[in-house]
Amino acid sequence: MEHMGIEPDRIHYSWISSAESTKFVEVVKEVTEKVKALGPNQHFAKHEAKVA
Amino acid sequence: MSEYNDKIREISQRLLKECQVDMVIGFRKGSMPMMNEPCFIKNAKDAAQLVWDSNCGINLANYLTNRTEKIGIIAKGCDSRNIVTHIIENKISREQLVIIGVPCQGMIDKHKTTSMFAGDIQDVTEDGGKIKITVNGQVNELDKADVLQKNCAVCTHRNPVIYDEMVADPVEEQNVDRYEDVRQIEAMNPEEKWNYFEELLSPCIRCYACKNACPLCYCPTCFVDESKPQWVGKGQDPTDVRTFHFLRAFHCGGRCTDCGACERACPVGINMRVFTKKLEKDSFEQFGWEAGLTLDERPPLDTYRPDDPDEFIK
Amino acid sequence: MTFVKIDKKQWAQGLATLQKSYRLFGPSKEKDYYNYKALDVGEQPDFGFSNTRLSPKAILFPQSETIIEFSLDENAADHHIMKSIETDSSPRAILGIRPCDAKAVRLVNLNFDTPEYQDPYWVKALDATTFVGLACDDPKSTCFCTSTGCGPYNEEGLDLLLIEEDAQYLAKVLTDKGRAFAEAAGWNTATDGEADIDARKATAEAKITASVSMENLKNQDLMDLHGASFWEDIAFACINCGTCTFTCPTCWCFDLQDEVHGKTGKRMKNWDSCMFPLFTLHTTGHNPRGTKTQRLRQRFMHKLKYFVDKYDTGIMCVGCGRCVSQCPVNIDIRRVCDLMNNYKTDEAACTVQD
Repeated sequence: MEHMGIEPDRIHYSWISSAESTKFVEVVKEVTEKVKALGPNQHFAKHEAKVA
Repeated sequence: MSEYNDKIREISQRLLKECQVDMVIGFRKGSMPMMNEPCFIKNAKDAAQLVWDSNCGINLANYLTNRTEKIGIIAKGCDSRNIVTHIIENKISREQLVIIGVPCQGMIDKHKTTSMFAGDIQDVTEDGGKIKITVNGQVNELDKADVLQKNCAVCTHRNPVIYDEMVADPVEEQNVDRYEDVRQIEAMNPEEKWNYFEELLSPCIRCYACKNACPLCYCPTCFVDESKPQWVGKGQDPTDVRTFHFLRAFHCGGRCTDCGACERACPVGINMRVFTKKLEKDSFEQFGWEAGLTLDERPPLDTYRPDDPDEFIK
Repeated sequence: MTFVKIDKKQWAQGLATLQKSYRLFGPSKEKDYYNYKALDVGEQPDFGFSNTRLSPKAILFPQSETIIEFSLDENAADHHIMKSIETDSSPRAILGIRPCDAKAVRLVNLNFDTPEYQDPYWVKALDATTFVGLACDDPKSTCFCTSTGCGPYNEEGLDLLLIEEDAQYLAKVLTDKGRAFAEAAGWNTATDGEADIDARKATAEAKITASVSMENLKNQDLMDLHGASFWEDIAFACINCGTCTFTCPTCWCFDLQDEVHGKTGKRMKNWDSCMFPLFTLHTTGHNPRGTKTQRLRQRFMHKLKYFVDKYDTGIMCVGCGRCVSQCPVNIDIRRVCDLMNNYKTDEAACTVQD
């Protein structure tokens, strides 16, 4: 995805156990902030088909 | 190359005569310069039609999918790697095949050669490392190294990795930097990357020659043809065009041998190998894996090993 | 005024004038090949091409075209009603269309404009278009137009035919549309060119050495050809890509697709290809052309037999050579046409196995 030009901050992998509620909250917070900073995604988002 | 031809015909004739195979899959002389046509030979007397030169870039493993006959197949390095992949993925069995290995010194880049001359190319012949190209009656001599397909120029497996017969002694393998083009893209920032691929794919007409020339693309129904759910729109919207190329490449992850069939087949000259090469590079760097080298190991994406890289998990 | 002389110095000026009343399309170099494109204001068509990679059919019959729109939003006016889209039918002209591609438009028209049915999108686009041909003095080795009832100076389907000379173009005015176009450009220097053209035409035609034979196609038995033994051999190499059909100027098949976004949607017309697995796939899941051999046979039988029988105007091929030069596996329509034309049933050892 990054290679195609999707901003790296939009993509996040984490391993969180069901017992790690604090980590879950932290990760969600962190990801949300990063994505908000980037603004709405413009890539792979088709709002209406463009025709040739 | 003529000694290759003689040997290929001799082996094919013998295999057919002795009924070791029902058919031999190879190339016959094409009707156009720089084009040979994949064909099958069922009678020993027709084996003389088989040819070999630097215009046999189509990957013949593509023609093995789900066949039930006993088959002799001519295989250069990349074809042989895709035959291995086909066997691993149960698209053909080893017992059905007599692999006629051809050490390869690279294929001529049809697109590049055509674009080098303003006129119509009438004839292309080769002699060792030299290519003679006739344009408007004028003969131009070029070094073969200058008109090689891009994937052949960085190929490190020119000799067949699996074979039952060999038509010549192995050729020397190249020691080259295979991933310079991928690194150039990796060095770009996200916006540059996006724009690079946007520009790359802009001429695409979605004829699907790339996926259909690829021996890895054998799904009974391709995702682009699914309608429930419909994964991708069927028009010319750039998002749909890119989704097709992107997903096609992903389906080749850990399987692609960089045979170049996709790029060669494209009627509008798109180098879609830049997608698959990134995955090929990642497979090599992260899993030490090069597709189709051995029948004895499962591909990295269908096995788990405790030492699989996991740095991307944060 | 059958012939008009256009000094190359007047060319750009004429085009600039024309752009006030016409949308101009013309050949343009993209990377290492040519294609037709809409010309920007002041942009010149590039006539340094033998033929374009794709045919100009997309100007009349786009690869993707929205034809109908609808809304499912009950608050919107006309919701749940399929409404035809108004396409741009202002005058346009294709500059430098080759005679083969112009004839191809006439062949496609046989399908889209019949006494019973007219495709409104095609008919409107065709009416709006002036075809300004460019005679072909330097045909390629893959060209075989002279044996398909066409030729490098063929006038069918053209409104004007341009013949390039050193310092000028000689324009042969063929229709009222062509006359209006030349007048709008201010090209009005009448001249005499017939003798000149005849000699150049003969030279150009002599350069075309490839040919197909089609004299027996009409009398061949349809079912014999359908069951001919050569299909398996020809189809073997085929990878079922759409290169031949998408680059062909006479292939007219299309598919309809609805795309819905939220509560609004569009119905689109997309090029289809008989090479694709979705082509003629029934909703039951059955496809009468389920194998690649059947699909390849459909392509050639349609062009070289069904069409011949139905319209009696020759084959559905103008000999532009695009499929010949671009097929990734070298399936050559010239060879297939000859095989079909010369086919004799007693040679048939077996039929195509499904």
